[in-house]
Amino acid sequence: MSQGCRRRGWGVSAERYSGFVFDPGELAEDVELDVARRREILFVDANLSTFTHWQLLDLPWNAPAEAARAAYLEKVKIFHPDRYSGKRLGSYRSRLERVFRKLTEARDTLGDEARRAEYARRTAAPEEFARIEARKLEDERRSEERRARLGRTNPLVAKAGRVRELVKRGKQAFEDGSFAQAATDLQMALSLDPRNAEITSLLADARRKAAALRAADHYDHGVSAEVLGRPQKALACFKAALEADPGNLRAGAAAVRVALELGDVAEARARAETVVRANPSAAVAHEALAIVLEAEGQKKEARRELERAVDLDPRLDSAKERLKKLRWSFLG
Amino acid sequence: MSDHEPVVGIDLGTTNSVVATVRDGVPRVIPNRAGQLLTPSIVAVAKNGKRLVGALAKRQAITNAEGTVYAAKRLIGRRWGSKEIEDARRVLPYALVPGPEGIDVRVQLGGRTLSIPEVSAMVLAELKADAEAWFGRPVRKAVVTVPAYFNDGQRQSTKDAGLIAGLEVMRIINEPTSAALAYGFGKAIEKKVVVFDLGGGTFDISILDIGRSVYDVVAVGGDTYLGGEDFDRRVMDWLTFTFAKENGGIDLRQDKMALQRLKDSSEKAKCELSGAQAASIHLPFLVGGADGKGALHLDKQLAREKLEELTKDLVDRCIAVTERTLKDAGVRPNQVGEVILVGGMTRMPRVQRAVRDFFGKEPCKGVHPDEVVALGAAIQAHALGAPQGKGEEVLLLDVTPQNLGLMVVGGYFATVIPKNTTVPTSQTHLFTTVQDDQTQVRIAVLQGESERAIDNELLGEFILDGIRPARRGEVSIEVTFDISADGIVGVSARDADTGLEQSITVTATSGLTEEELRRILDEQRDDLLERKQGEREFGERRERALAVVREIEELVPAVQGALERTRFGKDAIQKAESVLARVRAAVAAQDSAALGVEEESLDRTLQLFKGLAATGRPPGR
Repeated sequence: MSQGCRRRGWGVSAERYSGFVFDPGELAEDVELDVARRREILFVDANLSTFTHWQLLDLPWNAPAEAARAAYLEKVKIFHPDRYSGKRLGSYRSRLERVFRKLTEARDTLGDEARRAEYARRTAAPEEFARIEARKLEDERRSEERRARLGRTNPLVAKAGRVRELVKRGKQAFEDGSFAQAATDLQMALSLDPRNAEITSLLADARRKAAALRAADHYDHGVSAEVLGRPQKALACFKAALEADPGNLRAGAAAVRVALELGDVAEARARAETVVRANPSAAVAHEALAIVLEAEGQKKEARRELERAVDLDPRLDSAKERLKKLRWSFLG
Repeated sequence: MSDHEPVVGIDLGTTNSVVATVRDGVPRVIPNRAGQLLTPSIVAVAKNGKRLVGALAKRQAITNAEGTVYAAKRLIGRRWGSKEIEDARRVLPYALVPGPEGIDVRVQLGGRTLSIPEVSAMVLAELKADAEAWFGRPVRKAVVTVPAYFNDGQRQSTKDAGLIAGLEVMRIINEPTSAALAYGFGKAIEKKVVVFDLGGGTFDISILDIGRSVYDVVAVGGDTYLGGEDFDRRVMDWLTFTFAKENGGIDLRQDKMALQRLKDSSEKAKCELSGAQAASIHLPFLVGGADGKGALHLDKQLAREKLEELTKDLVDRCIAVTERTLKDAGVRPNQVGEVILVGGMTRMPRVQRAVRDFFGKEPCKGVHPDEVVALGAAIQAHALGAPQGKGEEVLLLDVTPQNLGLMVVGGYFATVIPKNTTVPTSQTHLFTTVQDDQTQVRIAVLQGESERAIDNELLGEFILDGIRPARRGEVSIEVTFDISADGIVGVSARDADTGLEQSITVTATSGLTEEELRRILDEQRDDLLERKQGEREFGERRERALAVVREIEELVPAVQGALERTRFGKDAIQKAESVLARVRAAVAAQDSAALGVEEESLDRTLQLFKGLAATGRPPGR
C-alpha cells in the first residue's frame, strides 16, 4: 500500500492536479515554502469538502484501517504545522491547520472498524453499495446454513434451533394477524424452553390478540343474527364474544340490550355486571348497567350508575337524556 | 549545525529540574555550573537577603524553612481557595497569600510577595544561565515540559514563567510524551507504548502509538496530586505518630525545623528502601523535651514491607488510573508493546511490581528516569528549532487531557472539545441572544470531567461585548474554541451574519494579567541588570583575589623558613592559611560580599610575605 501511496503522492503533480486551477496570487504569496509544497497544500485545502476520507489519504475507497493509519502518519508529515516551525507561512498556516484537522478526523473515523464500515456504506458508489448489501445477504445465508448443519448433529443445538424456528414462525404469524396460529407456535416454543421470558410475553400478547379477534368474530355473527330476527341466537353470540374477551364493550352492550328485549332481566343484569367489571372506567358500561337497573325498577341505583357514566364521559348524550328523564320521574 | 541558535529542553520538575540539548545529533543533559545534572527546584531568600536557587537553596532549607520555597509546581496555575491550595497550605512551611484579585496564589519570600510563575521563573533562569555557561553563548529558546494532566491555567502559567525568565517557550509538551520521544530516539519503532510517570508531585500515564517517527498520543490520564511527596508524607506521618506515642504526645508538626528534618530523612529512607530491605532514620536532638529536660532523639528502623504497607493505597491509585486510561483508549494491556517507567518514584520495587503485574510484562528500564523527560524536550526543541530537514525529524501529535466545555443552563457542563482529541484542534459553537437588544453574552469556559459545571476547573469567563441591538434570537455569534499544540485554550468570536469579529474580555483566570506580566518583566530587567552588575563585580573580585592567592602561595616556600624563626611566625602562618581558606570558600559560594571583606586581609598578608621574601625579615623591622 505504501507503494501505491508513493505512486500517487504529491510528487507526480501533473496528473494529480490535472483540472485544478491554481490562483496565481495564492501561489505567489510571500512564504517560506517551495512551490511543490504550496501546490499540494492549496490543492488539498481546496478539495477538503469534496474529498472522502480515503481520497484525502490518497487511498482507494474502503481501504482497510491499517492502511488508513499508515497513510495518516505519512500525510501528517506534510501537513502538520510543526513541520514548518519558525517559517513564514502567511495564509498557509491556517490551510495547514485545516488539512491537519481533517486528516485527524479521517484517522479517527477510519481507524475504528465499526465507524469505518459505517462510513464506507455512506460513501459507497451505487454499485459498491449493491455489492456490500449482496455480501451481507450472502453472509446471513451462510450462517443460516451453518446453524442448520449444527442442528443436525447436536441435540442441544437442534432444540435451540427448533425453538428459534417456532418463535420466528410465531412472530411471522403475529405480524400477519393470525394470532391464534402465533399463540399455538409460541406455546410449543415455550414448552421446549419454559424459562424464556421473551416467549412468555410474546405468547401472552398473541393470546390476548387472538381472543379479541375471536370476540370480534362472535360479535359480527351476533349482529347478523339480530338483523335476521333471531334474538336468542344473537344473545348466544354476544355472550360467546364476551367470554372470549370480557373487555369487548360493544358485545357487552349488545348482550344487555338483547337480553332486556327478550325480557330476561337476570341475564341482562349478569352481562351488565360483567361488562362493568371488565371496563370500570367505560361510560357505556355504566349506562348499560343503569338501563338494566331501571328495568328492574331500582331507580336510585340506576340514577347513580348514569351519573357515573356522565361523569366518566360528559359527552355521552344518551346517558344524559336518560338521567334527565329519571330525575323528572322522581319529581313526578 | 552549531551555527544555529542553541535551543534547549527543560524538565521543570516538582523537586528537581533538568536542562538538556541536542548536540551533534545526540541528546544530552547539560550539567549546571556546580557540575550536577539535577538542579533542585527550590528557591530561597537567605537571612542576608541573598537570593538562592537550586542546591544552594536546598542546603539551607532546614535552617530557613520559612524563607525557602519548594514544590512550586504544585501551586502553579491554581486558584486561591481551591482544594489543592488548601491542602498545600496545611503542609507547606512557607506562607501562601491570595493575589491582588483574590484569584491566584502568591508566596511571601524575603519580604516580597511573588506570584508562582515568578518563583518558577527563578528556577528556569538558573537553568538558562547554566545552559549559557555551557554553550558559551546566549540561550533564548526552549521547550518546557509539564505533566500531561496540567490544565490550561497551569500550562499558561508555566509559559508565563518562561517569559519572565527571558525564554521564548517554543512549545509546552507533556512529560510522558517527552519521555517517549527520548525512549524512541534513533530507533525504528512501530508499536504502542505506555509511559508510566510517577514523579515527585504528579502521576501521569500516556498511551502512544509510535510509527514512522510520528509520536501519536492516543490517550492520557493522571492525577495531579499523587507523587513521591505523598509517599514521603506517609513515612513522615508514621514517624510523627510513633514519636508522639513514645514520647508522651509530643507533636513534631509544631516545630517547623524538626518537620523539615523529618521530611528530608523520610525521603532519604524511602529512596534507600528501593535498594535495601531496611533503612534506619537517625535524627539526634530533634526537639526539646517536654518539661525542659534534655533534647529528644529520633531513632527508627523502617522495613521495606512497612513502607509498602504504608503506601499501598497510593500504588493502587496509580494502577486504577492506568486501567481507566487504557479503557478510554480502547487498548488492552496485552496490546501494549512497551512500558516506560519515568520519575524517581518508579524506582520503588513495589511500583515496578504493580506495573509488571498489570501489563504482564517487564517494564523498560533502558531510560534514565530523572533525565529522560528533559532529553525528550531537547529532541522536540531541536525538531522545532532546526530548519526543515529531510523529513526525518520526529513529529509529536499530542492530545488534550481534559474535556473543554461551557457552563449551560442549570449549571451543567456541555463538552465542546472532548478529552484525548489530537491538538491543535478547534470547534465552533453558535450562540444567540435570549433577550431583545441584548448587547452582552457571558460564557464560562471550563475544563474537567464532571457533568456538573461547578466541579470542573473554571478557565475563564468570556464576555462578548457590543453585540448589535436586535430582537432576541436574531443575532447569532459564532464562538470558536481552539486548543493549540501547547494545550493552551483560545477563544474568538464573530457575528455569524455580519462576519464582524466580536470583542472578548477575559475575566477570572488563574494566571497573571497582561499588565502584571509586563510589570514583572520590567522589574526583571532591573533585577537582571543588578545581577549582571553583581556578577561582573564578583568576577572582578574573584580574579583579583585569586591572583593574590597565587602570589601568596608562590611566596610560601621562600618565607616559610624566615617566618618560623620569628616570635610571631607560627601565628602568622596560621592566620594566612585561614585567610586563604575563607577566600576560597567565598569564591566557591559565589559570595561577592564576603570576598570583599577578605580583600583587605589578603592584601595585608601579601605585603607581609613580600616584605619577608625581600629582606628575610618582616617589613619595617
